[in-house]
Amino acid sequence: MYKIEKLIENLQLEIVSKNIDITDMNMSGVYIGDLLSWVMGNIKPGDAWITIQTHVNIVAVAALGDASCIIIPENAEIDESTIQKSEEQDIPIFRSNLTAYELACKISRLVDKK
Amino acid sequence: MKELSLHILDIIQNSITAKSSFIKIKIIEDLVNDTYCIEIEDDGIGMDEELLKKVLDPFVTTRTTRKVGLGLPLFQASAIQCDGSFEIRSKLGTGTFVRAMFRHSHIDRPPLGNMADTIITCIMANSSIDYFYEHYFKNNKFIFNTREVKEKIEELPITDLSVINWLKEYIKESLCVLVKT
Repeated sequence: MYKIEKLIENLQLEIVSKNIDITDMNMSGVYIGDLLSWVMGNIKPGDAWITIQTHVNIVAVAALGDASCIIIPENAEIDESTIQKSEEQDIPIFRSNLTAYELACKISRLVDKK
Repeated sequence: MKELSLHILDIIQNSITAKSSFIKIKIIEDLVNDTYCIEIEDDGIGMDEELLKKVLDPFVTTRTTRKVGLGLPLFQASAIQCDGSFEIRSKLGTGTFVRAMFRHSHIDRPPLGNMADTIITCIMANSSIDYFYEHYFKNNKFIFNTREVKEKIEELPITDLSVINWLKEYIKESLCVLVKT
């Protein structure tokens, strides 16, 4: 388990869904994938999910798979409806200028240090 | 989904759940206009306007109506991502029609995948349902109709292993020939 608050601080993630209280949220692992049907079948509960997809369907997939949060890499544009849905569903979306690979490397170092 | 045939299978499963007896699958590959069109039409119980409005919303569908799922929203997103369009029409008691249009040459357009396996899976799922599959490529077409097959094999059930194996090869080879012409 790793605190989402720490993740944001260490990776300097931009908080996209502002109306969610993330104080007690944790992530257990990381999953990277952009093919939503594939992610649905393979993501594990508690995973932070890194995807370049930004359509509202990602919130549904995250909800079905019990993802702890969604991280959008490479500063990709996010639909307004996606942000709204994520707040309704209590699944926070963060954004970074790093690539999915760079994010994964940094998260790996953070989690290992702990 | 990695392949268009998986989307097709998903939609047909909806049709089967909706108690269809005749399901039409039409694929039109138009290289001149650079379009890849997939149509699925059934004669099932259909949907009322209220449900029809909801089926493309991933939340309403996954939460309340189990039989629809995320299949339609994903199919729609895939088509739109490939410069295409998506349409669904339905009438209670009459049936449902789904059309997904892709740009044929779009780099993110999934490949068709294995249509022979898809059709066979559907036949095995419920052999009393009839399937009509037509596939157009340029000016050529391939038509497969389980009603015709059933007439030809007479007493033999369509799910008989020898029939199934033959059909699978037949569809596979016919599609290979179609796209080579």
